[in-house]
Amino acid sequence: MAETFEPKIVSFLCNWCSYAGADLAGTSRIEYPQNIRIIRVPCSGRVDPLFVVKAFLDGADGVMVLGCHPGDCHYQQGNYHAQRRYLVMHKLMDFIGVESDRLYIDWVSASEGKRFAEVVTNFTQRVRKIGPLVIIRDPHALEVKLDEVTA
Amino acid sequence: MTKMDEGIRAAARQLLEESKVSAVIGYELADKGRVRPVVIERTEDVDRLIWNEDCNLNLVNYLHQRKMPAGKDQPIPKTALVIRPCDVRAVNLLISEQQIKRENLKIIGIQCAGTRINKKARITCSFCQERIPVDYDVLIESDKPIEIPTESDGFADIQEMEHWTAEERLAYWTEEFDRCIRCYACRQACPGCYCFECVAEQVDSHWTSIAMKVPEKMFFHVMRAYHLAGRCVLCGACEAACPMNIPLSKLNRKVARDILESFGYKTGDDPKHAPLLACFDPNERLHI
Repeated sequence: MAETFEPKIVSFLCNWCSYAGADLAGTSRIEYPQNIRIIRVPCSGRVDPLFVVKAFLDGADGVMVLGCHPGDCHYQQGNYHAQRRYLVMHKLMDFIGVESDRLYIDWVSASEGKRFAEVVTNFTQRVRKIGPLVIIRDPHALEVKLDEVTA
Repeated sequence: MTKMDEGIRAAARQLLEESKVSAVIGYELADKGRVRPVVIERTEDVDRLIWNEDCNLNLVNYLHQRKMPAGKDQPIPKTALVIRPCDVRAVNLLISEQQIKRENLKIIGIQCAGTRINKKARITCSFCQERIPVDYDVLIESDKPIEIPTESDGFADIQEMEHWTAEERLAYWTEEFDRCIRCYACRQACPGCYCFECVAEQVDSHWTSIAMKVPEKMFFHVMRAYHLAGRCVLCGACEAACPMNIPLSKLNRKVARDILESFGYKTGDDPKHAPLLACFDPNERLHI
């Protein structure tokens, strides 16, 4: 592994608040880590927790879901639904063995460009500290390889 | 013939004779002392019905096959079920999701002393507090002594696993899921899994490939555990059906425990309660 580990972070941003917040961070020329890959979604309620599972299993080291503050949802209630779902998924992922610190859900409004940069910076540092997430694809292949090496 | 068998047969005979139901779904004896589910439609077959501790599937699952296609003016067949307390919760789940109607059902409830998988008492039963169904038309009393475990034992194995490090848990589940042969028996045995097209088999959109690799298997099981969040009744039918002995109920019990802690909600308490993840309280600010 390289000396400095750069985590891959997938972030789901809601179109109406967080994406606009990220835009504001950009137009205000606020710096934040380049580790995030932004996926724009209509609402945090659109982010099926299975997106997160899939992101982790396909190589993400961290996943961020940002939506509007409670009460501010463009679709009235999407973020409330997201809230409940992620409470469940957060604990389930932790139980499977993906540290709960790798998944982050928060509310960032369109006017919070500075806060968006802070949130991204903090989360990137957090994931960098935990290290890469290694999901073994094929335990048998690994065993065979280990046997070969030790033989 | 035990006292329980007598009770079940008498209740089934009465329901069929009075034409209250068109079929009774229960268990009968099969080869080598095993049991299997049976659908009884005639009164002369009633004597095949039995109950013992090996009856470990969830018969509510069969109601999905007794639903009539939507939009056709066919009468929905009325059915009686011989079911345990956990299965009755599944009935309430399906009523709350508007899949079945209570008036089309007769419940022959079993006072349950616990069931076994492969001759071993199963985990879900060893912590079960509920031995009398929340709802029933006829109650069949158990002829075995019933020991209800204390509250504290409830989720001991889950709590122990939570003290492991994340790497240990990932290694544990990688090993367990590696055995999975993706036969989907867990899904087929589950009363809560009734999608026409399962996410695991969807081609458009293509959620997961058919590869027999750990990430795909892990995706399938996490997906199932999540889709059953607030819906699993902890009947353990998935675990009983699993040919590879994967401790599937651990995932479901973990989710059920979190939900009990956060929302004080237990699936099947109330057939009128909306599915937990399909509703919300505008005042709640969950600490995630």
